[in-house]
Amino acid sequence: MIDSEFDRRDFLKVLGWGGAAVALSGCGNTSIEDGKETIVSYVQAKDYVIPGVAVYFNSTCAQCDAGCSITGKIREGRVLKLEGNPESPINKGRLCGLGQASVQHHYNPDRVREPLLRQGDKGEAISWEKAYGLINEKLSGVKGEEIAFITGDVSGHQKVLLGNYMDSLGSKNHFVYEAAAPAVVRAANLKAYGVEMPRYRIDKAKVVLSFGADFLGTWVSPVHFAQQYAAFRKGVDGQRGVLIQAESKMTLTGANADRWLAVRPGTEGILALGIINALGIATGDVAQLVKDYDKARVSRDTGVEPSHIDKIAAILRLRSPSLVLAGSAAEGYVHGMQNAEAINLLNYVLGNVGKTIESPVSVPFPQLAPSKGNTASLKRLNDDLAAGKYKVLFNIATNPVFTAPASYKFGDSMAKAGFKVAFAHYLDETALQADLVLPLDSEMEDWGTHVPEYLTETAQINIQQPLMERLHANTRGMGDILLALVKQRKPEEYKAFDDYYGYLRGAMLQNKGALGGAEKDDDNFWNDTLSNGIVKLSGPSSALSGKADVAGLKLPAPREADKEYPLRLIASVTSNLRDGRHTNQPWIQESPDPLTTIVWDSWIEMHPKKAAELGIVEGDIVKVTSRTGSISAQVYVFPGIHPEAVSIPIGRGHEAMGRYAKGYGVNPFSIMDSVFESTTGELAMHETNVNIAKTGQRVIVVKDEGPVGGKQMGARIAVSRSTDQVDLSKEV
Amino acid sequence: MSVTNLLDNWAEVRHFHPIDDKPHDPYKWAMSIDLDACIGCNACAVACYAENNLPVVGREKFQHGQVMHWMRIERYWNEDDREFPDQGAEFLPMMCQQCEAAPCETVCPVGATNHTQDGLNSQIYNRCIGSRYCSANCPYKVRYFNWYDYPTTDNVWPAEMNYQLNPDVTVRGKGVMEKCTFCVQRLRAAEVTAKGEGRIVREGEVQTACQQSCPTNAISFGNLVDPESRVYKQWKAQQVDLAKDEQEKDKQEGGSDLRGYRILEDLRTYPSVMYLERVRESAV
Amino acid sequence: MKDIREDIAWAKINQDVMKSLENPRPMYWVILFFAALVLAVGIGCEVYQYRTGMGVANLDNPHVWGLYIGTFIFWIGMSHSGTLLSAILHLMHADWRKPIYRFAEAMTTFSLMTAGLFVLMHLGRLWQFYYAVPYPNERWAWPNFQSPLIWDAMAMFTYLSSSVLFLFIGMIPDIAIARDNMHSGWRKKLYTLLALGWEGTDRQWRNFRMTYLTVACFLIPLAVSVHSIVASDFAVSQQPGWHVTSFPPYFVAGALYSGCAAIITLFIILRYVFKFEDYMTLPILKKVVRLTFAIAMVWTYLNCVEFASVWYSHDAASKGVLIQKMTGAYAPFWWAMIFCGSIVPLIFAVKRFQTNIPVIFATSLLMNLGMWLERWMIVSPTFSHGYYPWTWDHDQWPSMIQWGIVFGSFGWFTLLFMVFCKMFPSVSMYEVKEMVYHRSLHLKQNGTPVEQTVEQGVH
Ligand SMILES: Nc1nc2c(c(=O)[nH]1)N[C@H]1C(S)=C(S)[C@@H](COP(=O)(O)OP(=O)(O)OC[C@H]3O[C@@H](n4cnc5c(=O)[nH]c(N)nc54)[C@H](O)[C@@H]3O)O[C@H]1N2
Ligand SMILES: Nc1nc2c(c(=O)[nH]1)N[C@H]1C(S)=C(S)[C@@H](COP(=O)(O)OP(=O)(O)OC[C@H]3O[C@@H](n4cnc5c(=O)[nH]c(N)nc54)[C@H](O)[C@@H]3O)O[C@H]1N2
Ligand code: SF4
Ligand code: SF4
Ligand code: SF4
Ligand code: SF4
Ligand code: SF4
Repeated sequence: MIDSEFDRRDFLKVLGWGGAAVALSGCGNTSIEDGKETIVSYVQAKDYVIPGVAVYFNSTCAQCDAGCSITGKIREGRVLKLEGNPESPINKGRLCGLGQASVQHHYNPDRVREPLLRQGDKGEAISWEKAYGLINEKLSGVKGEEIAFITGDVSGHQKVLLGNYMDSLGSKNHFVYEAAAPAVVRAANLKAYGVEMPRYRIDKAKVVLSFGADFLGTWVSPVHFAQQYAAFRKGVDGQRGVLIQAESKMTLTGANADRWLAVRPGTEGILALGIINALGIATGDVAQLVKDYDKARVSRDTGVEPSHIDKIAAILRLRSPSLVLAGSAAEGYVHGMQNAEAINLLNYVLGNVGKTIESPVSVPFPQLAPSKGNTASLKRLNDDLAAGKYKVLFNIATNPVFTAPASYKFGDSMAKAGFKVAFAHYLDETALQADLVLPLDSEMEDWGTHVPEYLTETAQINIQQPLMERLHANTRGMGDILLALVKQRKPEEYKAFDDYYGYLRGAMLQNKGALGGAEKDDDNFWNDTLSNGIVKLSGPSSALSGKADVAGLKLPAPREADKEYPLRLIASVTSNLRDGRHTNQPWIQESPDPLTTIVWDSWIEMHPKKAAELGIVEGDIVKVTSRTGSISAQVYVFPGIHPEAVSIPIGRGHEAMGRYAKGYGVNPFSIMDSVFESTTGELAMHETNVNIAKTGQRVIVVKDEGPVGGKQMGARIAVSRSTDQVDLSKEV
Repeated sequence: MSVTNLLDNWAEVRHFHPIDDKPHDPYKWAMSIDLDACIGCNACAVACYAENNLPVVGREKFQHGQVMHWMRIERYWNEDDREFPDQGAEFLPMMCQQCEAAPCETVCPVGATNHTQDGLNSQIYNRCIGSRYCSANCPYKVRYFNWYDYPTTDNVWPAEMNYQLNPDVTVRGKGVMEKCTFCVQRLRAAEVTAKGEGRIVREGEVQTACQQSCPTNAISFGNLVDPESRVYKQWKAQQVDLAKDEQEKDKQEGGSDLRGYRILEDLRTYPSVMYLERVRESAV
Repeated sequence: MKDIREDIAWAKINQDVMKSLENPRPMYWVILFFAALVLAVGIGCEVYQYRTGMGVANLDNPHVWGLYIGTFIFWIGMSHSGTLLSAILHLMHADWRKPIYRFAEAMTTFSLMTAGLFVLMHLGRLWQFYYAVPYPNERWAWPNFQSPLIWDAMAMFTYLSSSVLFLFIGMIPDIAIARDNMHSGWRKKLYTLLALGWEGTDRQWRNFRMTYLTVACFLIPLAVSVHSIVASDFAVSQQPGWHVTSFPPYFVAGALYSGCAAIITLFIILRYVFKFEDYMTLPILKKVVRLTFAIAMVWTYLNCVEFASVWYSHDAASKGVLIQKMTGAYAPFWWAMIFCGSIVPLIFAVKRFQTNIPVIFATSLLMNLGMWLERWMIVSPTFSHGYYPWTWDHDQWPSMIQWGIVFGSFGWFTLLFMVFCKMFPSVSMYEVKEMVYHRSLHLKQNGTPVEQTVEQGVH
């Protein structure tokens, strides 16, 4: 696909003269003099630049941790559009909306373009030499344990290089933080199956019973699961898969369920045990455990009708294998772990383990495997910072000031660190509090390798390569920065590497054999690797070793209604917004939320019954108050939520981060109580209780659906029928 | 310029309908969308923004109903009277249905929206004078008008964002109508390539952007006159005939057990998009 | 009661009417000033809209049409009264039309010119409007003759040119009088030019009458067709609520109605401003009022027919539109239309009010409002319904820009009309003379003494 001498730095040179950039501006005022250093004639253009013809390069989507492979469409040196790379077994050529929007991350007009040094309230643009010098200076005399790093999920060679740099500093304080990670489920899985993330086979299951796992929208690897889901609906042996979703707030997955159960918040585990009881096939310890969970009690506790429990038990008995999933809705409580364990127990009872819960493959290079984020680490970091433990804090592209519950007062804690360096794409809430902001290349300008947490058929290393020349002269790749920093400490060891590209190429070639390139010469191997965008490996399968363990499994009785704060706040994760790091991508802002169709703003979901009780209608601005604080936002009356809960999506409510994010909506983290899951110490995201007061203001909710909402008024628009009225075997 | 020319010219205008003596040959582009597979994720809609240079209009204009999404994912609730939507929602991707007898076409004063030989409802931006009659007459309300000059509107494509524009697709100025084109630029490229090689476009050779991104493969697209194509097979299996305003299977007593249907078919628009009904399990 | 006094001398007629070209009441200038002001606002709004885009009108999807189209139909409708009074009543030998048909004809012309502006202003790309004109071009690109908008453009153009012709031909003898009585200056030159050498010879009169009659005969079907074609813009579409075969007669009735109401309004204004009390008399007004009442009832009847046929058609979508009109967001305006269009004219059933100028004036304004609302209610509520529920109940309210342009059109019309009335004799002198002449003959035959001067000043 590309010749070996190829120098991507030429891309922009092409861009500067190629003129594709004038699509909008017509005759701009670019003179030849202005751009003389970057003129490259098409007469001598590189063979990967064919004027008017698109070329495609493979890379990896960095918008979430699922690790889908992308194919970038490039013309005249500009990346235009991202498509899925069909070679990757994770996304098989498909891409979610969020993934596609990453071109707007790359081209975002609000990116940081220069290293910025804090001078009072302002940032002064400085050179990279000065920035590196400053870091060196600030680190001198600082002990390793006084230095901390906070990052999101990190894997591949960047993780290795970061580790090396931390070693050179003598620091072991690496906090891996993700605001919306399935950390409790990982712990429960480890206990039940011996692995944190088994391979889920939705496609092999005949029934999927999901307790709030939004696998079609936000959970773990949504594009991959959506493809499995498509196969599952087509059916195993011609029998269409049945999806049952139990959760307090309808997720995208819940919206696609054959049966959606509105469970009282926090009682997911009770429902799971109730179903085991109703199945009547459990023996021993398990039977003992569930014997009190009879239908009447479970129905009373969870709000699920007894007839539904019967029907679910019946279909689970009848159709095997099935698959039971514990998702974020179940884990967001103090007893989240108990919930998840109870749910996992169902898989044992149903005999799914080993059938639809398979042992995962793993990458044969443990040093490249991902460090997985959670929220407990942020709590620890915050406590340490507040205690004044750190003199220097490095933040690699995370935004805890935005996503930490307000009660942490993370900003104040952070201020106690003497010198704060933020490697950032934007001046987000956290970068604004740093002393030194170092502008990063976008994922479309940078080199890297990634190993996704959730692997599918094969182990794979994903390649990230620049799809075009960097847009701004003074941004740098994180790998290059780490290399420069580690060279400050160990110049001898790293002197062979001019840049991170060289390091990466060297590192990959070193393991050429193990990476499946034994027969190829270096250049061929490397070119094939870049061309494929992924390296598929035959990795070992880590065996499932857990067991149906009921020891210590004790679910609390449903919460009594809190008089002062009677409603549960579900801070929901939506497929568009995730944790809010991409809110400044206009396609994402304007992409209607699938369930409410709301755009560009936050909303509070409230059940019609509750709304009627409180005299609230759509568009009313209400004040939501928790023990921690209060925020005001518009109400969207939504039938897909339990009447005892209200829900506000996370991801909006930025006070910084540029024109497309700042000032749109509210941030539920700002009223979230600090309550933690009892076993893992994870933040219990659904444990905040609130009350609601009308403010008297009302707005028109900006949404895609019309005023009649989702009613079809008798017209044959979106039609459905039940399985007994259709013969799917006749279909193509 | 003669009257003969006018008459000849005119006689050709509505030439390409699926009538017996003028069959679609060699192409009739058509789609089918499986609502049981569609999960309402919006990936297709974003893909359309990326492929077709759709402007992001912002909150205020969105509120005024001036959004430009050629593909919109509609969300319906089926269980109006129940406490909870306990069989989920219904998602329906809606875009121009590329009607064979398009109500939008006949009313356009300048012929800016037309039927093409390969069965598309085309939109000629240069010719459009912005009367909006076509939109008034489109039963599906899938035509989007450029109420503003988006290319010069603040923060629609500010510097650098404009680099992402697809050079194969015009950036529309103010005052013209637009809508889903079935990604005509991709179709033309494929048709031209095929023609150069003396063959017709093969099944799978061309995808629309929405189809390409869809994680569940809910959207099929292809040549309805090619018996090898998936859409041909699907339409055939579902007994949906392009040139009918009521399908034979629907006239059967008790209805049919096939899921294929077209929206507002009885208006005789002869839409080129077939939907497959969503299915819900009766046992739970 | 006689339509006009029978003893007015012909010379006095000339004098009175010629005076209107020189010194109207001060109110004239006040009206002119406000008309110019309103027009200036309208022009400002249009310039802004032209530069920024149609979005500033607050139109959207599905409300792609709004007040512009509604007001366009209103102005087209208004134009019908001129044809009614001058052509139809001319053929029917209704004598009382004579003092008032001239200004009605002017009204026709200017309201058509106003309507035409709306067609243009409504276009997203006004600067390409000529694509809708069938002009020869090297690309062989013709407009789409299947589109009712093209029929519209043609019908309007034909109607406008015929109306201008009709107005002009009818004025020739009077322009000659103006020529002969005007002090020298540019106006005299203008009248000389426009009088086409009229000398009032027998031969000229014969040709004149022949031509006038021919154009009148031509104009009547044209007028009926114009509004039928405007109705086709809607009736030919498939939108429920528009797709109604009764739309053409309904539109024509509405057109005559709004035209008559406008005639009453302008009648009263001109009578005052130009001191035409002797010509635009109460008996004539009473006849116009009665005619208007009759047409109002026809319109009401056609409304009922439409509702009934929608109701009994069992077409759910059309019924939905009707219910939407009566109960939806636009209901206040819809009911205001019913009130102004069907209830208010009942005042005219009371004899006492048929000659009470303040009452008649107020009523005519309300009826005009009702007819304007009718046009808006044809356009906007329909877009709030339709076949596709996703867009239902979506209401759209005009922005200040849209209102500004709509008001501006009233300024434009008033300005043109008022300037015309001061430039040209707005009462047909020669026809009033005919009235007086016939009557004085009649009196003579009865032996009643008549002033000697009656026939002075005749050509
Ligand atoms: N942005 C941009 N600007 C350029 C160039 C570019 O590539 N990009 N190229 C430059 C070059 S190389 C050139 S040669 C110039 C060309 O510049 P122009 O000469 O302005 O070229 P055109 O716009 O092709 O044609 C001018 C007009 O002639 C009309 N026309 C067509 N046929 C006839 C005819 O038979 N008679 C008459 N009277 N008119 C006719 C067309 O409708 C059009 O309105 O542009 C230069 N400017
Ligand atoms: N469809 C259509 N076709 C047209 C026209 C039209 O209006 N429409 N216009 C016609 C007219 S008027 C013209 S002039 C032609 C223009 O047609 P071409 O002469 O083909 O013009 P370009 O494509 O602009 O430029 C040709 C190449 O020159 C290269 N180039 C740029 N700078 C230099 C340099 O310094 N040295 C060298 N050696 N190469 C350089 C560019 O990279 C480019 O690849 O097109 C004609 N063809
Ligand atoms: S699921 Fe995540 S990795 Fe995959 S395309 Fe979407 S954002 Fe990218
Ligand atoms: S769906 Fe609407 S825009 Fe598309 S062809 Fe049909 S009538 Fe025209
Ligand atoms: S808006 Fe354009 S395409 Fe639509 S009818 Fe008017 S001129 Fe034709
Ligand atoms: S076919 Fe193309 S233009 Fe139409 S909705 Fe899909 S992506 Fe958009
Ligand atoms: S991408 Fe596919 S699944 Fe998602 S909304 Fe579109 S059609 Fe439905």
